[in-house]
Amino acid sequence: MYFKGINSYGDRGLVLDFGNETSKSISQEVNETFLNISNLNLQSLNIIPSFNKIVVIFENSKIRDQNKDKISMKMKDTNSQTNKKVTKTWEIPACYNEDFALDIKIIQKLHQITKEEVINLHSSVRYYTYYIGFMPGFPYLGDVPSQLITPRLATPRVKIPARSIGIAKNHTCIYPKVSPGGWNIIGQIPFDIFDLQSSYPSLFLPGDEVKFYSVSLSEFEKIRKYNFSLNELIKEYSS
Amino acid sequence: MNSIIITRAGTHSTIQDFGRFQYQHLGVSPSGAMDQRIITELQKIIPNHQHQFLEFAYVGPSIKVKEGSVKICVGGNCNMSIQKNNNSQLECQPYKSINLFEGDELIIHNTIDSVYGYIAFEHGLGLEPCLNSYSTDTKAGIGSINRPLNDEDIFHISKDVSSWDLISIPKPDLEKVTNFKVYPGPQLQYFSDNTLQSFISGVFTITNQSDRMGIRLKGESLISSKSHDILSEGILPGSIQVPSDGQPIVLMRDIPCTGGYPKIAILNEVDISRISQLPPETKITFDLQTIY
Repeated sequence: MYFKGINSYGDRGLVLDFGNETSKSISQEVNETFLNISNLNLQSLNIIPSFNKIVVIFENSKIRDQNKDKISMKMKDTNSQTNKKVTKTWEIPACYNEDFALDIKIIQKLHQITKEEVINLHSSVRYYTYYIGFMPGFPYLGDVPSQLITPRLATPRVKIPARSIGIAKNHTCIYPKVSPGGWNIIGQIPFDIFDLQSSYPSLFLPGDEVKFYSVSLSEFEKIRKYNFSLNELIKEYSS
Repeated sequence: MNSIIITRAGTHSTIQDFGRFQYQHLGVSPSGAMDQRIITELQKIIPNHQHQFLEFAYVGPSIKVKEGSVKICVGGNCNMSIQKNNNSQLECQPYKSINLFEGDELIIHNTIDSVYGYIAFEHGLGLEPCLNSYSTDTKAGIGSINRPLNDEDIFHISKDVSSWDLISIPKPDLEKVTNFKVYPGPQLQYFSDNTLQSFISGVFTITNQSDRMGIRLKGESLISSKSHDILSEGILPGSIQVPSDGQPIVLMRDIPCTGGYPKIAILNEVDISRISQLPPETKITFDLQTIY
């Protein structure tokens, strides 16, 4: 148990505190707690997990105070933590072609490794989805192998292409849409991961496991043409 | 069928409601009307608004009835007039319902000593919700209309006006507040007592670098004794975050979903609406509530 306690956040928020460190096991506890709290059907407006905090927002202080006890009780009731396997395991095609790998040379140079080594290392690990943030559907994945750990770009890029795969520090990510950003771009995936037409719009959820596999440009273009819906992507690429 | 056309979009005109909730863990901001007091008042005059309010800032839009007729009401402190089909001009006031007929054009000139104004339309604007809300987040490209309104945008309102009766309410007392009582933020302890004293006793100026995402303030530098870089965590509107230049930013409705700057304090919900109406160069002060 990393859970430290519940604090107030202004007049209508709560912060569930899981300490100041980060690790996969802390995030696993955070994301399990997130599911447990979501299942309480609180009168909350938003429940936001991150590396070691969960922020819960209510309409006003009265509703916040009424719901605080329910959360406290749930946190004490360790027997009921039965939410086991609701997260998904993904195998995601990634094209590391030079057209997409805008910053791969920075990583090669920093770690004195070849392009192939970067690709093999990046696609060798089963990443954990720490949380979704920064922009709609943007997954914070980690941790990358130590030979790929690279600081953010000194000058952020104004326009990162949609579906780009990035590395910053010990995390990797996918940009759901065109955006400014400072991650080192090393490839691209062939489909969209955020769909506003879907009632559950994000392909990835906190706690999901994600592994990339390298595909050629022609395979990439073939998959791109299918124009998969989120439901089709779940069937095709997750288990 | 009734339809209206935007003849002049105005500045920052978007569709908003009370906000989009239950999606912030997927990176989706709550958005919603900057001044929620006004759309709450407009509900009394146009009860059947379908949650499709038009928000504008500074320069208002002009709207012409293309076909049929519509019933609307404007909220906020603004100058406006109606150009009738027969070329006569009518005066009109906020918080009084307005019946507009084919060819009539409502011209909202500007907001007075404030920032945001709103229009409620009886039966809404014929829009479909996006993730259970009509609110627009232009930066994320989310909304029934995922961008600011443009000239020539057309809205179809299939239902006819229910009654021509004119309804009005007394102009609500939306007093201008420049002193804000704030609650301690989650990283209050990142700031020394001296810095907290500067925060409480200092005067901060609203800068023109302010929008639906945040209001940037200029004042005495609030430098953290610990760090200006925290691990990203969930944030809510009204939070006052302090980046490394020490100049605070009040986070508003189109909030980034998680943030990595320490938050010194947070406003209460109604003060988010109040502060949103203060134009650049307004001077404000904060009082820190210690017990809550």
